[in-house]
Amino acid sequence: MTAGRVQIEPDALDRVLVVAPYRRDAEYLNGLLQEHDIAVALSDGHHLAEHMREAAGVLVTTHEALTPHVIDAVRLHLASQPAWSEMPIVILLDRSSPNARIRSELAQRWPRARLLYYERPVSAVELLSGIQSALLVRLRQRDVRDHIDREVELRRELNHRVKNILASVTSIFQMTQRGAASVEELVTDFNGRLQALSNVHAAVFHANGEAVSLREITDLTFAPYRLHGSDRVTAIGEDVRLSGENSTTLALCLHELTTNAIKYGALSVPNGRVTFSWEITPDQLTIKWVEHGGPTVVVPAHSGYGTRFLRSALANLFGATPRMEFCPDGLRCTVGGPTAKVLGNL
Amino acid sequence: MSASKQLRILCLEDNPLIAFHIEQMIEDLGHVPQLTLSSFAQLLTIADLDVDCALIDIDLTDGRTGPTAARWLHERGVSCVFVSGQQDIAEANRAFVADIIIKPVVARDLARVLAQLTP
Repeated sequence: MTAGRVQIEPDALDRVLVVAPYRRDAEYLNGLLQEHDIAVALSDGHHLAEHMREAAGVLVTTHEALTPHVIDAVRLHLASQPAWSEMPIVILLDRSSPNARIRSELAQRWPRARLLYYERPVSAVELLSGIQSALLVRLRQRDVRDHIDREVELRRELNHRVKNILASVTSIFQMTQRGAASVEELVTDFNGRLQALSNVHAAVFHANGEAVSLREITDLTFAPYRLHGSDRVTAIGEDVRLSGENSTTLALCLHELTTNAIKYGALSVPNGRVTFSWEITPDQLTIKWVEHGGPTVVVPAHSGYGTRFLRSALANLFGATPRMEFCPDGLRCTVGGPTAKVLGNL
Repeated sequence: MSASKQLRILCLEDNPLIAFHIEQMIEDLGHVPQLTLSSFAQLLTIADLDVDCALIDIDLTDGRTGPTAARWLHERGVSCVFVSGQQDIAEANRAFVADIIIKPVVARDLARVLAQLTP
């Protein structure tokens, strides 16, 4: 809550504060409200600011109570109310009190209050129903407060996530730029990576805060390469679910492996195949990328962006260095790590 | 940059993309990305930690443990720098770090901060 605002105590909004200097009035109102199970606090006007923090639901005041000191204390309390709050105030006038003047003064001095006037004698039923509906108004205001709190929390979370995504995109762009030999290559590679990030984001969003199926991640990643019924990329393994963050990392890694296979590996020729498989035990989750039927593999003289990212990201995800084998038949990449860590359940 | 001025750097970062990007920038600047971890819990399992400085995110995979990690490393004589999007929390824990880099990280900011830490 914003600094400088009054901190209203949790159940203060259920309580009615009666300000009445005459003992008879105070006792009557106290009895009436308690009889109907409404929590009451009494004040003779001294320490009013403090009393209003403890019993802030509805203020009931007689016109005799309205001294300049009391009017000012209430004004200060009203001014410091949080945005959702509009305190209901029940004012008991007499036939003989200068009612027009009181009304006009209070309307001016007490903005952001709901003023309800009763002229005594007033029936107990009428007064009670007025106070009860004022308490109901407070209940609605409290709902509004809870909604606002939730929205503030959501906005903070959203801001945090957007920043994270922008930071990821910045990283992807800068690294793609480093590895690109031409503007065309930069555009193609950057679009591909952004698309992979966007696809997995959609899956994470649809999972609605729940973990994402690994099967769904592989389907998403390999779908663009499953043209015309040819299943050149096979995913094999018992389905498991990964946290959103880990799904994103794994999807980006699979994207790098796939594009690498298309550029240089098994998917660069018509008959090449890829098998992506995973094995899970309670302790260990191992993934295996195996290419075959592609052109004869030559160990690259230096690692490109994709390969270096794979090493770093897989090491981060699995807590172990991945094994990259440039077998003549095709690239193999294997890595395993603690199941709970890889699934993101830690 | 001469080899004697190379810093061996620890990265505590839970986003693998950003971790990788930072590692690349560290190499470009002539330093060594010695070790990258994604949680404070992982850091506690490292037996013989041998780094000159650490780049630390606020939120790691084991929660908001960046500030705890910074304090822990600071007490062991490792110069720390926060690298985070959460400026307010970074500022609140300013006592344990030599500097703060606001995400997204760009090479210029990292170069400036590492230059200050180079002995």
